[in-house]
Amino acid sequence: MFASRLSSSLRALPRQASAVRMARRGYAEAAGADGKLQLSLVLPHQSLYSSAGVIQVNLPAATGDMGVLANHVASVEALRAGVVEVIEENGQAGKKWFVSSGFATVHGNNTLTINAVEAYPLDNFSAENIRSGLADANRVLSSSAPESEKAEARIEVEVFEGLQAALAK
Amino acid sequence: MSSTWREFMSWNKYTQVASRALRQALTETDRVAAEKRAAIGVRYQLWENGQGGEQKYVVPQAEPKSAGTPPV
Repeated sequence: MFASRLSSSLRALPRQASAVRMARRGYAEAAGADGKLQLSLVLPHQSLYSSAGVIQVNLPAATGDMGVLANHVASVEALRAGVVEVIEENGQAGKKWFVSSGFATVHGNNTLTINAVEAYPLDNFSAENIRSGLADANRVLSSSAPESEKAEARIEVEVFEGLQAALAK
Repeated sequence: MSSTWREFMSWNKYTQVASRALRQALTETDRVAAEKRAAIGVRYQLWENGQGGEQKYVVPQAEPKSAGTPPV
Protein backbone atom coordinates (compact mmCIF):
# COMPACT_ATOMS: atom_id res chain seq x y z
CA MET A 1 0.00 0.00 0.00
CA PHE A 2 1.53 3.32 -1.00
CA ALA A 3 0.19 6.75 -0.11
CA SER A 4 -0.57 9.15 -2.95
CA ARG A 5 1.39 12.42 -3.22
CA LEU A 6 0.08 15.71 -4.61
CA SER A 7 3.53 16.79 -5.79
CA SER A 8 6.86 14.90 -5.90
CA SER A 9 7.15 11.59 -7.67
CA LEU A 10 6.90 8.30 -5.81
CA ARG A 11 10.13 6.31 -5.39
CA ALA A 12 9.51 2.74 -6.55
CA LEU A 13 11.25 -0.19 -4.82
CA PRO A 14 13.20 -2.36 -7.30
CA ARG A 15 11.38 -5.65 -7.72
CA GLN A 16 14.36 -7.86 -6.91
CA ALA A 17 15.14 -6.07 -3.67
CA SER A 18 11.58 -6.39 -2.44
CA ALA A 19 11.50 -10.12 -3.28
CA VAL A 20 14.70 -10.66 -1.28
CA ARG A 21 13.36 -8.55 1.58
CA MET A 22 10.12 -10.54 1.63
CA ALA A 23 12.08 -13.78 1.96
CA ARG A 24 14.04 -12.55 4.96
CA ARG A 25 11.44 -10.48 6.77
CA GLY A 26 8.03 -9.56 5.50
CA TYR A 27 6.41 -6.19 6.11
CA ALA A 28 3.45 -8.03 7.62
CA GLU A 29 5.64 -8.91 10.61
CA ALA A 30 6.85 -5.36 11.02
CA ALA A 31 3.27 -4.08 10.96
CA GLY A 32 2.24 -6.32 13.82
CA ALA A 33 -0.93 -8.34 14.03
CA ASP A 34 -3.22 -5.38 13.39
CA GLY A 35 -1.38 -4.05 10.32
CA LYS A 36 -1.26 -0.49 11.63
CA LEU A 37 1.37 2.17 11.06
CA GLN A 38 3.50 2.71 14.19
CA LEU A 39 3.53 6.43 14.85
CA SER A 40 5.80 8.39 17.17
CA LEU A 41 4.91 12.08 17.25
CA VAL A 42 7.27 13.81 19.65
CA LEU A 43 7.95 17.36 20.76
CA PRO A 44 10.93 18.42 22.88
CA HIS A 45 8.75 18.69 25.97
CA GLN A 46 6.08 16.09 25.31
CA SER A 47 5.43 12.85 23.47
CA LEU A 48 2.03 12.94 21.75
CA TYR A 49 2.26 9.41 20.30
CA SER A 50 4.85 6.82 21.30
CA SER A 51 4.86 3.87 18.86
CA ALA A 52 1.08 3.90 18.70
CA GLY A 53 -0.75 2.05 15.96
CA VAL A 54 -2.63 4.37 13.62
CA ILE A 55 -4.29 4.04 10.24
CA GLN A 56 -3.14 7.18 8.42
CA VAL A 57 -1.14 10.34 9.03
CA ASN A 58 -1.40 13.45 6.86
CA LEU A 59 1.71 15.63 6.83
CA PRO A 60 2.45 19.16 5.57
CA ALA A 61 5.78 18.38 3.93
CA ALA A 62 7.83 21.24 2.51
CA THR A 63 7.55 19.55 -0.89
CA GLY A 64 3.76 19.27 -0.65
CA ASP A 65 1.03 17.69 1.46
CA MET A 66 1.30 13.94 1.78
CA GLY A 67 -0.47 11.05 3.49
CA VAL A 68 1.32 8.09 5.06
CA LEU A 69 -0.36 4.69 5.35
CA ALA A 70 1.02 1.44 6.75
CA ASN A 71 4.03 0.02 4.91
CA HIS A 72 4.94 3.31 3.26
CA VAL A 73 8.25 3.44 1.43
CA ALA A 74 11.07 4.82 3.58
CA SER A 75 11.51 8.58 3.20
CA VAL A 76 12.64 11.67 5.07
CA GLU A 77 10.58 14.83 4.72
CA ALA A 78 11.10 18.28 6.18
CA LEU A 79 7.82 19.76 7.37
CA ARG A 80 6.54 23.28 6.87
CA ALA A 81 4.11 25.06 9.20
CA GLY A 82 0.84 23.18 8.80
CA VAL A 83 -1.64 20.67 10.15
CA VAL A 84 -0.65 17.12 11.04
CA GLU A 85 -3.74 14.93 11.05
CA VAL A 86 -3.72 11.48 12.66
CA ILE A 87 -6.47 8.98 11.87
CA GLU A 88 -6.32 6.33 14.57
CA GLU A 89 -9.19 4.07 13.58
CA ASN A 90 -11.00 3.52 10.30
CA GLY A 91 -13.97 5.83 9.98
CA GLN A 92 -12.92 8.08 12.88
CA ALA A 93 -12.32 11.79 12.31
CA GLY A 94 -8.62 12.65 12.35
CA LYS A 95 -7.02 14.40 15.31
CA LYS A 96 -5.29 17.59 14.22
CA TRP A 97 -2.32 19.52 15.50
CA PHE A 98 -0.79 22.63 13.97
CA VAL A 99 2.96 22.07 13.72
CA SER A 100 5.51 24.86 13.42
CA SER A 101 8.31 22.92 11.78
CA GLY A 102 10.07 19.60 12.04
CA PHE A 103 10.95 16.37 10.28
CA ALA A 104 8.95 13.28 9.39
CA THR A 105 10.87 10.05 8.85
CA VAL A 106 9.21 6.93 7.50
CA HIS A 107 11.49 4.05 8.43
CA GLY A 108 11.49 0.93 6.26
CA ASN A 109 9.79 -1.18 8.94
CA ASN A 110 6.37 0.48 8.96
CA THR A 111 7.34 3.12 11.51
CA LEU A 112 6.76 6.85 11.20
CA THR A 113 8.59 9.28 13.45
CA ILE A 114 7.60 12.95 13.45
CA ASN A 115 9.87 15.32 15.33
CA ALA A 116 8.32 18.74 15.75
CA VAL A 117 9.31 21.75 17.81
CA GLU A 118 5.85 23.06 18.59
CA ALA A 119 2.50 21.40 17.95
CA TYR A 120 -0.84 22.37 19.44
CA PRO A 121 -4.47 21.38 18.83
CA LEU A 122 -6.32 23.95 16.73
CA ASP A 123 -8.46 25.03 19.72
CA ASN A 124 -5.43 26.51 21.48
CA PHE A 125 -5.07 29.37 19.00
CA SER A 126 -6.57 32.83 19.16
CA ALA A 127 -7.76 34.42 15.92
CA GLU A 128 -7.01 37.87 17.29
CA ASN A 129 -3.37 37.04 18.05
CA ILE A 130 -2.99 35.51 14.59
CA ARG A 131 -4.37 38.63 12.95
CA SER A 132 -2.11 40.99 14.90
CA GLY A 133 0.92 38.77 14.29
CA LEU A 134 0.17 38.71 10.57
CA ALA A 135 -0.23 42.52 10.53
CA ASP A 136 3.15 42.95 12.26
CA ALA A 137 4.89 40.60 9.82
CA ASN A 138 3.34 42.32 6.80
CA ARG A 139 4.44 45.67 8.15
CA VAL A 140 8.05 44.47 8.25
CA LEU A 141 7.70 43.17 4.70
CA SER A 142 6.49 46.49 3.34
CA SER A 143 9.10 48.49 5.24
CA SER A 144 12.69 49.12 4.20
CA ALA A 145 14.17 46.52 6.52
CA PRO A 146 17.21 44.46 5.41
CA GLU A 147 16.49 41.32 3.37
CA SER A 148 17.36 38.97 6.26
CA GLU A 149 14.64 40.52 8.44
CA LYS A 150 12.21 40.33 5.55
CA ALA A 151 13.04 36.62 5.15
CA GLU A 152 12.11 36.09 8.82
CA ALA A 153 8.91 38.07 8.30
CA ARG A 154 8.06 35.88 5.28
CA ILE A 155 8.39 32.78 7.46
CA GLU A 156 6.06 34.33 10.04
CA VAL A 157 3.54 35.26 7.33
CA GLU A 158 3.60 31.63 6.18
CA VAL A 159 2.90 30.40 9.71
CA PHE A 160 0.05 32.87 10.36
CA GLU A 161 -1.60 32.37 6.98
CA GLY A 162 -1.37 28.58 7.44
CA LEU A 163 -3.03 29.00 10.83
CA GLN A 164 -5.83 31.12 9.39
CA ALA A 165 -6.44 28.55 6.64
CA ALA A 166 -6.46 25.69 9.16
CA LEU A 167 -8.86 27.47 11.52
CA ALA A 168 -11.16 28.47 8.69
CA LYS A 169 -11.83 24.83 7.70
CA MET B 1 6.63 31.69 -3.20
CA SER B 2 9.85 29.67 -3.10
CA SER B 3 11.58 29.74 0.25
CA THR B 4 14.11 32.55 0.30
CA TRP B 5 15.05 31.89 3.91
CA ARG B 6 17.73 29.48 2.76
CA GLU B 7 19.80 32.43 1.56
CA PHE B 8 19.95 33.92 5.04
CA MET B 9 19.70 31.22 7.67
CA SER B 10 20.09 27.57 8.57
CA TRP B 11 17.15 25.18 9.00
CA ASN B 12 17.58 25.47 12.76
CA LYS B 13 17.10 29.22 12.66
CA TYR B 14 14.11 28.81 10.31
CA THR B 15 12.54 26.42 12.80
CA GLN B 16 13.12 28.80 15.71
CA VAL B 17 11.52 31.70 13.80
CA ALA B 18 8.49 29.61 12.82
CA SER B 19 8.07 28.26 16.36
CA ARG B 20 8.32 31.74 17.83
CA ALA B 21 5.60 32.95 15.47
CA LEU B 22 3.40 29.97 16.37
CA ARG B 23 3.76 30.66 20.09
CA GLN B 24 2.63 34.25 19.55
CA ALA B 25 -0.58 32.95 17.99
CA LEU B 26 -1.66 30.93 21.02
CA THR B 27 -4.35 31.94 23.52
CA GLU B 28 -3.01 33.79 26.55
CA THR B 29 -2.72 30.94 29.08
CA ASP B 30 -1.19 28.53 26.56
CA ARG B 31 1.17 31.24 25.32
CA VAL B 32 2.59 31.97 28.77
CA ALA B 33 3.28 28.28 29.39
CA ALA B 34 4.81 27.85 25.92
CA GLU B 35 7.07 30.91 26.25
CA LYS B 36 8.40 29.61 29.55
CA ARG B 37 9.20 26.27 27.90
CA ALA B 38 10.78 27.93 24.90
CA ALA B 39 13.31 30.09 26.74
CA ILE B 40 16.77 28.68 26.06
CA GLY B 41 19.87 29.89 27.84
CA VAL B 42 23.38 28.49 27.34
CA ARG B 43 26.14 29.09 29.85
CA TYR B 44 29.82 28.32 29.45
CA GLN B 45 32.78 28.25 31.81
CA LEU B 46 36.51 28.19 31.02
CA TRP B 47 38.64 25.84 33.10
CA GLU B 48 42.36 26.38 33.82
CA ASN B 49 44.63 24.33 36.09
CA GLY B 50 41.65 22.47 37.46
CA GLN B 51 39.90 25.71 38.42
CA GLY B 52 36.65 26.76 36.85
CA GLY B 53 36.39 30.35 35.71
CA GLU B 54 33.36 32.59 35.75
CA GLN B 55 30.16 31.13 34.30
CA LYS B 56 28.98 33.34 31.47
CA TYR B 57 25.79 33.26 29.46
CA VAL B 58 26.31 33.11 25.70
CA VAL B 59 23.45 35.61 25.31
CA PRO B 60 23.28 37.80 28.46
CA GLN B 61 20.03 37.23 30.35
CA ALA B 62 17.75 40.24 30.89
CA GLU B 63 16.77 39.78 34.55
CA PRO B 64 19.35 38.75 37.18
CA LYS B 65 19.09 35.14 38.33
CA SER B 66 19.05 34.52 42.08
CA ALA B 67 21.96 32.38 43.34
CA GLY B 68 21.12 28.71 43.62
CA THR B 69 18.35 28.52 41.02
CA PRO B 70 19.50 26.05 38.38
CA PRO B 71 18.31 26.77 34.84
CA VAL B 72 15.59 24.30 33.84
